[in-house]
Amino acid sequence: MSENLSELLGRKGLQENLFDKLGNLAQPAGTPDEEALALLASEFLIGKANTYGTATFYDFLKPENKGKQVYVCNGTACECAGTQPGVIKELKKQFTEDQIGHMCCLGRCHENSAFHYKGHNYSGGAIDALQQIVKGEEKHHSDMYNVAASHEPILTAAFTDVDTYYEPWLAVLGQDSADVLEEIKTSNVRGRGGAGFPMGLKLEFCRNAEGPVKFIICNADEGDPGAYSDRYLLEEQPHSVLFGMLVSGYVTGANHGILYIRAEYPEAVEIVQQAIDALKDRGLVGSNIGNSGFDFEFKIIQAQGSYICGEETALINSIEGQRPEVRVRPPYPAQRGLFNRPTVVNNVETLAALHYIISEGGEAWKAIGTENSSGTKLVCLDSYFNKPGMYEVVMGTPMKTVIEDLGGGFKEAVKAVQIGGPLGGVVPVEKLNELTLDFESFKENGFLLGHASVVSIPEDYPMIKYIEHLFDFASYESCGKCFPCRLGTKRGHELASKAIQGRETIDRELFQDLLTTLEQGSLCAHGGGIPLPIRNIVHYFDDELKNYFS
Amino acid sequence: MKTAYINDIAYTFEPGETMLSFVRRHKDDNLVPTLCDAPNLDPFGACRVCSVEVALEEGGPVKTMASCHTPVSEGQYIYTSTPSVQKLRKNIIELVLTDHPLDCLTCEVNGNCELQTVAAQVGIRDVRYPAGDNHLHKTKDLSHPYMTSDFSKCINCYRCVRACDEVQGEFVLSMAGRGFDAHIIKGLDQSFMDSDCVSCGACSQACPTSAISDVFQSKAIQATETTRTVCTYCGVGCNLDVATNSGEILSITAPYDAEVNQGHTCLKGRFAFKFYDHPERLDSPMIKRNGEFEKVSWDEAYTYIADKFTHYKNTYGPDSMAGISSSRCTNEENYLMQKFFRAVLQTNNIDGCARVCHSPTALGMQRTFGTGAATNSIEDLKYTNCIMVIGANPTDAHPVTGAKLKQFAMKQDNVTIVIDPRRTEIARYADHHLALRPGTNVAVLNMMMYYIIDEGLVDESFIKNRTEGYEDFIKELMAIDIDKLEAVSGVPREQVKAAAIAYATAPNAMSFHGLGVTEHSQGTFTVMQIADLAMLTGNIGRRGVGVNPLRGQNNVQGSADMGVQPHQGAGYLDVTNPEINKRYNEFYGSELPLHIGYKIPEMFDAALDGKLKAIWIIGEDVVQTDPNTQKVIKALNATDLVIVQELFMTETAKQADVILPGSSFLEKSGTFTNGERRVQAVRQVVKPIEGTKPDGQIIVDIMNRMGYSQPDYTPDGMLEEISQIVPFFAGIKWERLGQNGLQWPVAPDGTDTQILHEQEFKRGLGYFEFHPWEETQEITQHGKDFPYILTTNRELEHYNCGAMTRRTANEQILKSDYLMINPADAESHLINDGDFVCIESPRGKVDVKARITDEVKPGILSTTFHFPDIMINNITGDVHDSEAMCPEYKVVAVRIRKSKGKFKSLLQDK
Repeated sequence: MSENLSELLGRKGLQENLFDKLGNLAQPAGTPDEEALALLASEFLIGKANTYGTATFYDFLKPENKGKQVYVCNGTACECAGTQPGVIKELKKQFTEDQIGHMCCLGRCHENSAFHYKGHNYSGGAIDALQQIVKGEEKHHSDMYNVAASHEPILTAAFTDVDTYYEPWLAVLGQDSADVLEEIKTSNVRGRGGAGFPMGLKLEFCRNAEGPVKFIICNADEGDPGAYSDRYLLEEQPHSVLFGMLVSGYVTGANHGILYIRAEYPEAVEIVQQAIDALKDRGLVGSNIGNSGFDFEFKIIQAQGSYICGEETALINSIEGQRPEVRVRPPYPAQRGLFNRPTVVNNVETLAALHYIISEGGEAWKAIGTENSSGTKLVCLDSYFNKPGMYEVVMGTPMKTVIEDLGGGFKEAVKAVQIGGPLGGVVPVEKLNELTLDFESFKENGFLLGHASVVSIPEDYPMIKYIEHLFDFASYESCGKCFPCRLGTKRGHELASKAIQGRETIDRELFQDLLTTLEQGSLCAHGGGIPLPIRNIVHYFDDELKNYFS
Repeated sequence: MKTAYINDIAYTFEPGETMLSFVRRHKDDNLVPTLCDAPNLDPFGACRVCSVEVALEEGGPVKTMASCHTPVSEGQYIYTSTPSVQKLRKNIIELVLTDHPLDCLTCEVNGNCELQTVAAQVGIRDVRYPAGDNHLHKTKDLSHPYMTSDFSKCINCYRCVRACDEVQGEFVLSMAGRGFDAHIIKGLDQSFMDSDCVSCGACSQACPTSAISDVFQSKAIQATETTRTVCTYCGVGCNLDVATNSGEILSITAPYDAEVNQGHTCLKGRFAFKFYDHPERLDSPMIKRNGEFEKVSWDEAYTYIADKFTHYKNTYGPDSMAGISSSRCTNEENYLMQKFFRAVLQTNNIDGCARVCHSPTALGMQRTFGTGAATNSIEDLKYTNCIMVIGANPTDAHPVTGAKLKQFAMKQDNVTIVIDPRRTEIARYADHHLALRPGTNVAVLNMMMYYIIDEGLVDESFIKNRTEGYEDFIKELMAIDIDKLEAVSGVPREQVKAAAIAYATAPNAMSFHGLGVTEHSQGTFTVMQIADLAMLTGNIGRRGVGVNPLRGQNNVQGSADMGVQPHQGAGYLDVTNPEINKRYNEFYGSELPLHIGYKIPEMFDAALDGKLKAIWIIGEDVVQTDPNTQKVIKALNATDLVIVQELFMTETAKQADVILPGSSFLEKSGTFTNGERRVQAVRQVVKPIEGTKPDGQIIVDIMNRMGYSQPDYTPDGMLEEISQIVPFFAGIKWERLGQNGLQWPVAPDGTDTQILHEQEFKRGLGYFEFHPWEETQEITQHGKDFPYILTTNRELEHYNCGAMTRRTANEQILKSDYLMINPADAESHLINDGDFVCIESPRGKVDVKARITDEVKPGILSTTFHFPDIMINNITGDVHDSEAMCPEYKVVAVRIRKSKGKFKSLLQDK
């Protein structure tokens, strides 16, 4: 986080974006060369250390990425499904070891065996056609999952056509933006990214912030292994996201919308761009939209491989081209965000809710779900379910309904599920019946709704290995800024590894101290959140784990 | 007043204050430990050891929060030392120690390591984690003459990165990799020497361990004493803490509580002090006999000098003698030097280096405002919206102010205008860069004023109430020929207009100027135009505005204040005014002359005419640094007695008949006045090197030897005398100066002044006076045969003639002068980077190494005169500012060719 860097990078605006340029420069070789980094540094007046520092942060920009041809998913669902050693074995027939990298995760949790090759993702049975894929003969990549809703579909409703869909947008442009904001506040829609912050308040803060330049950012860096609901929305319902951004812009006075889409979702980038182009063709974005005097432009920024960019201030740094290290708050992004300008960062699913709220009214949304958790929520079920897929569930629905009725129950014996991504709680299956799908129920029971993705941990998967996996992920994806997370996740990983190898048991007191240090001390929810699933595991699977502790 | 509670006791807090600041203001500094926090850096939130527990009611449920970046709210209960928060801190430090060498006893910062202190505070006794991955294998970087790093000691607090960014604005340091692999890098993961590091040392001072340090180990605690004094290198006036042990200087750091430099300084201030006991220091008076210097006693030297002075005075009259005082010396010494010439020798032939730098500033600002000094303070940068930097390269020549200007220029909402032929560092960050042809300042500024008036952006009420001469001024100004001025300056009119509008429409605009304004044939007029611009737009007399010359030498402001100029005595009082003359006569007990004395160039002319018999030069290398070297040498040769008081055998000292070994700023006490009129205490750090004396004492000795009774040199005694004759020093007393000095004028009660001309100008009304642009004679006479324009500049690493900096390790960082040449010009002359280029002017020729850069436009060349082996002033000319006689170093008509390959200069040919 550097105020000066934000200022300098802000001078060039969005069109001459450093992060974009770094991504483009990395294209041929897998990493930008040093000469290019030096030139960029002098173009942006930010010093070579900063372009180099940024490049070395990201999986797909760093020097180690040089020459990588194919990437294997190492997300939690693929890990638990145990499909990836087989995928790697197949890949090695076509690629050298140096050419094979990792991506986490490709969002193919419903069928696993996921890998990425030349801008496309493959999963399920695709690995069997690897030869044809490499030859360019096999273009089709299976990506079939169920989509259904527990009640009347809202987020998953079938898309009609652009003109009909954007009628409410043209109506909004004729309204007082304060009234539109009021409607959103009435709905009580809360952020779907994990923290559950009321969207209306966030928009209001930004609206009240002074400044001629403001930004709406769509956080489409769905990095949670096990989650693919954002991918679903971006690929299947892109207009719902764009609509939400337009309305957010109108309400706050922001004229720039940025979709920060993860590199692991290349198809989403293409589809969203097509959707934006369709809006441009119809004059639904651009200058003086519908003669309202309101301007709005979209820009897609493609991420370069870093989980922490899902944290909003890291994401802002990332768009700027800085190292995506978490910023301190205050100032909050609504006051000083992208390029130090007032900024709203919202999750894909949160933005997608606005179409319904604007069309049907805030009260209509509020009437769905529970008092504090209004509306519906997308839930992703992984391949351990009989009916893996994407389900739109009314908030407050019993988890039993989600698991049994929508998901069709488990295919194989599962001992626990992790709900809400790597920082979400690990729920033993027998506890599932006590939960309803809403923020409050999960919190009261010591879990976290998060993004509501469900990853199953099969009966035979050792929990110590799961702890190691979580720490490994947390440590690998830590930005490294705050001491507890940078050091603590690493030491946690080492403690678990050594215990698995039988070299050293874990000192219980030390382990508790470590978790408390991470929880209390970390700068953001990454280090602060990783102890939750681990504490759940230690609590519910004490018996399985006891030999690893002393 | 809002209140919150610290450990259940109520205290008041300031709006926006962080919990850490709140706690530290009311309680002990150490109550809440920190590692990533630093006094001059923004809150960062990395280490988390500053965590506290916060409740909404007494004993209520608590939340752990990092105090360094969390603002206090009304009624909050902050608990600084609960068992759980203490445990948290201990656990964090335990994690840090899993990746830190535990070799404290042999570590450079043992006893002054913040990690060590915090580890002790939190009570670490054990690191419970099994051995794991670490960075202990990292090797040291000893590539640089000053900066060192040992990243095995790094705790990733980012203080160095932030200092490089937030303080110096250089961006040399960053972090690479992520998570546990995150590590500090310099540039593209290079060594300090290979990186773009400017050696300011801010990172070293910021580092809480020894991960980044310097060769002087400035964080080690071997020093037995620390003395606060003021830097001798430029007009910024950085405060320095000089650490010594047994009379030897160990290292220098910058105090955080210094108002001038807030914990920052540059490589000259921080590192370039080893000249002071360099083996080449002159350590005995010497008299040249038969062409050889012979060491003599002080007594013999004094007798020799006194006898000669007496003889010349009696035989040729007082005006046969002249003095050049030194702006490197203290106010008190400068005062004594002018007093000696005026009261003892009875001549006004006293001048100083201001003649060759800011004499047009003093004169021009006096004409327009009545006072020849900066109207505002550097602190005003906090209150301004627009800066206009004209003919100055502050990041090299005034690095600490330069860094502040750069910080300003980086911000999107600020406006920065640079008027300079070169794309200087600050120009790279500017919104408007008017890259004019050297010698056309007046053209561009007249255009700017034209557009401001044309656009109706003048401050009518200011002009009406506070100025005079506007009617005539505007009449002439609006008749300028824009087509012609655009053509000669080479700056498109749209650019000039845009800059003019930006300056005029900013709520507050400040201007800063340097020698690129003054060292021209129209230097004084340019200064007056800058002052006119300020008056035109009402940018005078409040915070965040004004006209602010960046004074060159550390005490060039002070030397003029003290009367080191031939037309004004101590306190800028007119020597030709009989009433003032009477006052001086009474005060000094002597008969002072009523006619103006020689300016420096006139001294040389007088010498060549056989009129000058003796010249006494203190701390000024006129041979190397004044224009037209050969003429200067001839003038010195034509003078019977040349006394040079110096630290080293400079090019000028070589021409001396008598050498007096003076002492450096580290060896004496007194005061320097910085560019914002701040009189600061210079405190003796070590005794004068054996065989040398403080310059002030030497002058006092000679005064007494010549029969004038002057007490021994002491700063308090001298200030007592000065305060009685210099009106704006009335309230300055040695014991009043404190840590941060006083800005003149200082009232008898000690009240000082940050902003001049608040209610009215010193001269009453500000005075508008139009001057048209005129081509310099250098071009009209020689431009045809010598089609290139050479201008001169300064490099960060060296100071002026380099007598001091070349005798430090700065010499390893920049080894020679070089010539900046545009790629197009280089190509047309088949010149490659590093080739020697022969530059020829009507005065002579020199060979300089080429550095090909688009920092200069085609047709323009630029170089420095830090090194005596080049002696660029062999080719600079005789044109001077029409009013103040400041030489036109900035426009030299030259032609160039690739040198035959052999390095040569006129001096060596001889």
